[in-house]
Amino acid sequence: MRRDWWHAYVLAALVSVIVATGTFVGYRNAAFEHRELARAKHAASSVAEGLLPMDNVVAAYLVSPAVQSREYEFLRERSVTEADGSQRRLGGTGARAFDKRIYDAANTFDKSGAFVELVIDSDYVIAAQPAKGGVAVAITTPPKGPERFPWLVVLGLLVMGSLVCAAGTLVGGGARPLGLALGASGLAVPTFIWSGLAMALVVIGCSMLIAWADLRGSLRRAGREFRKGGIAYAFLTPTAAAMLVLVGIPFVVGLGLGFYNNNHGEWTFVGLDNFIQILSGDGRSLSDPLNFWFTLGVTVAWTAVNVVLHVSIGVGLALVLRQRWLKGRHGFRMLLILPWAIPNYITALIWKGMFQFEYGAINSVLSTVGLDKVNWFSEWSTSFASNVATNTWLGFPFMMVVALGALENIPGDMYEAAEVDGASPWQRFHHITIPHLMPAMLPALALGAIWTFNMFNVIYLVSDGRPGGGTDILVTEAYRWAFERGERYGLAAAYATIIFLILILWTVIGSRLAKKDEE
Amino acid sequence: MPRLLTLFLVLMFGCRADADPNSVLLWHAYSGAEQEALRDSVARIEQEHGITVRLVSVPYEAFADKLTAAIPNGNGPDLFVFAHDRIGHWTANHLIEPLEYYVDDRIAARYAFEAISAMSYEGSLYGLPLAVKSVALFYRTDILTEPPTQTDQFFAMDALYKGDWDGYPLVYENTNLYPHAPWLHGFGGSLFDKDGTRTSLATPEAVAALSFARKLDRDRVVPGGVDARMVATLFNEGKAAMAISGPWFQNDINPEVPWAVATLPIVSETGLAAKPFLGVEGILMSSRARNKDRAFAVLEALTSDAEAVFRAGKAKQIVPNQAAYSDKTISENAALMAFRKQLDSTVPMSASPLMRSVWTPYQNALLKVIDQGADVADALRSAESEMKSYSEGQP
Repeated sequence: MRRDWWHAYVLAALVSVIVATGTFVGYRNAAFEHRELARAKHAASSVAEGLLPMDNVVAAYLVSPAVQSREYEFLRERSVTEADGSQRRLGGTGARAFDKRIYDAANTFDKSGAFVELVIDSDYVIAAQPAKGGVAVAITTPPKGPERFPWLVVLGLLVMGSLVCAAGTLVGGGARPLGLALGASGLAVPTFIWSGLAMALVVIGCSMLIAWADLRGSLRRAGREFRKGGIAYAFLTPTAAAMLVLVGIPFVVGLGLGFYNNNHGEWTFVGLDNFIQILSGDGRSLSDPLNFWFTLGVTVAWTAVNVVLHVSIGVGLALVLRQRWLKGRHGFRMLLILPWAIPNYITALIWKGMFQFEYGAINSVLSTVGLDKVNWFSEWSTSFASNVATNTWLGFPFMMVVALGALENIPGDMYEAAEVDGASPWQRFHHITIPHLMPAMLPALALGAIWTFNMFNVIYLVSDGRPGGGTDILVTEAYRWAFERGERYGLAAAYATIIFLILILWTVIGSRLAKKDEE
Repeated sequence: MPRLLTLFLVLMFGCRADADPNSVLLWHAYSGAEQEALRDSVARIEQEHGITVRLVSVPYEAFADKLTAAIPNGNGPDLFVFAHDRIGHWTANHLIEPLEYYVDDRIAARYAFEAISAMSYEGSLYGLPLAVKSVALFYRTDILTEPPTQTDQFFAMDALYKGDWDGYPLVYENTNLYPHAPWLHGFGGSLFDKDGTRTSLATPEAVAALSFARKLDRDRVVPGGVDARMVATLFNEGKAAMAISGPWFQNDINPEVPWAVATLPIVSETGLAAKPFLGVEGILMSSRARNKDRAFAVLEALTSDAEAVFRAGKAKQIVPNQAAYSDKTISENAALMAFRKQLDSTVPMSASPLMRSVWTPYQNALLKVIDQGADVADALRSAESEMKSYSEGQP
């Protein structure tokens, strides 16, 4: 007899207890709700028929129709008939404890008809029924809570099950998995009583699955693996949980939202409609800024122009800063990194101010030299150029830092050897510098492209999409659909999904290229 | 372990185990003098009513999102201070509690009719007003002898100047619907059709109003391409004689600048007053408030006449309480009285969810006409169709 027979049984029993408990809670809540709703409804009907309310009733009244205020169309008074036949106004100075709930119930009745409702967080049940001369409202409280969990039954079944399982193991051979499956299936009986066949089959299925795994020895292998790497798994758990909550769940929810439409808080499933609306351009011409393909074109142009400028300026400056004849190189390097050190939205706001028509720095300079002022954001080309200027200012320091790092790592003797061999400066640049720069620049380029592709701050703060949304890129467009155009969260989520897919594609292509280059 | 888990949850989601179940939690986005005034009012009410009120300041930009996320989970405030224009949206999401049960004619009569009506939506009342906000006409008393009362005077300002002066007569954010709205209403227009259920942007009145705004720009009555910050700068530096802005602008004016406030002029073409949008800031109750009776006691006390007088004095708020204006400290404050006068010719901003989608398309139309010289009617029509396409698939 193997000593570990009870491991498998504990596992199987645990699974069946979880399933059974879940089933019980569902059954219990439904039974409780059914019982209490019926009680409140009956109380309200009694009031409607003019009978005296019965047990467990907290408050029950015949409420007369609302009387609208003469001055204010949005104010209404309601009164109730007391047991002695007198009328009393709900609320005000002589308000009783449940007046507000009764008033609200009568309002709900006026809007949507008879109802009965369990108020979860305060243990009351409210029912409203039509009655002669108004509406009958009753509030009842449950005399006792829902059924308790039948601990003894469950415990007894578990003990019995363990005996069956032990017996099976004693006999050995095929009896072992049979005993395990039978023993752990004991809880299927109460589960069947609570909610029928389906859940009972789940309990039996789980037990059989574990018995099967035990027969094949997979349980033992998994246990061994876990004991071996236990510490590592323990260390991974917090990070994995945080990633799941902060990245995994929002990501999945975001993906899911793309298939829904939000109409002022009401969500309806629309399948692929959002994606079709986006990708088909929604019947707009290609030159319409609201057409997805126009925005995509702008985004790609925006990314390409920026990355080319960032890399060429960054590498150019790095090459200059490396020259030994340059005095105060460290000072210059510090200065050039500064644009990167300032939060980018502040930089964006400063540039926006500089492009201002009447008093902006750039137009002031233009008019001092005798040129006309330019209305930067009224035309697409100048507006786009303003964005690019701002983002280039923000983007080149990163490329410069990466290039400087790579340049430091090129051994000086290579240049000396090349010089001795009579290589021209251009040849030295082309055959030594560029090949050594590439491995560092390619990942930076891929990263820079992704940043620029999603550079929300610059677009939103500098041009704000002007003119007419023409300089919006995909992320700002998604933002506008969510927060500025009737809260189309579903459409915005679909946009986000499409952006994600584009960037995945770009990353895959980028890493392929980098790999090819390494080879 | 449970303690660790609680700490983890608090850190992750900002959930709180209820600190004091008997307190009333009030969220607001006030800062500066308004925040201090609210704090003082609350302290007084706590003493008088024996209720603890916890004030939590939430940044304005995040306010609405935080509310929508927190209230359904039971983590939201009991009361909160916000402008009335989101009421329609919030009732659709069942976030706010109707107050007809608590409010009777006597309480309602404390406030200017426009102000309390703005807090109602589809036949229910959702809050009591704290302050009203609308733009009016600020002018520099060192440049102007008196403010213009007719829009025609904008184009012939020399008569009103004290001396020789060549700055801009007026400055306002002319590509923003909010300060443009007085012209729209002054030319007899509206954003919505007669029954108020659908927007109708390309009306002849709207075309006339937008043409007028363009004329102000073309005739160099107002400078182009200014944002809110620049309005203050130009006014302070004496490069503009008048500015259209709201009560908050008082804090942006440098102390050495002599200024006064007047109601907006009458539109000469129509003879109608230029009516700005009215925004009403009120206290609203969450539908998940823990103790509604207690929360209303606080709400009612904070919006009382006595507290209104206090707020008007301390935070320069334009309060909606009628009785406050017979108080001496307020009737002597010319700026407050001017804003109070402006209140009588305002158009309450619609609380319909449609209102929130109108800003961007309208701003695009204003930009197209004023910045890019597009045809007025075309620009408004395309704003209309832009509006329509935003709500496509939304019955």
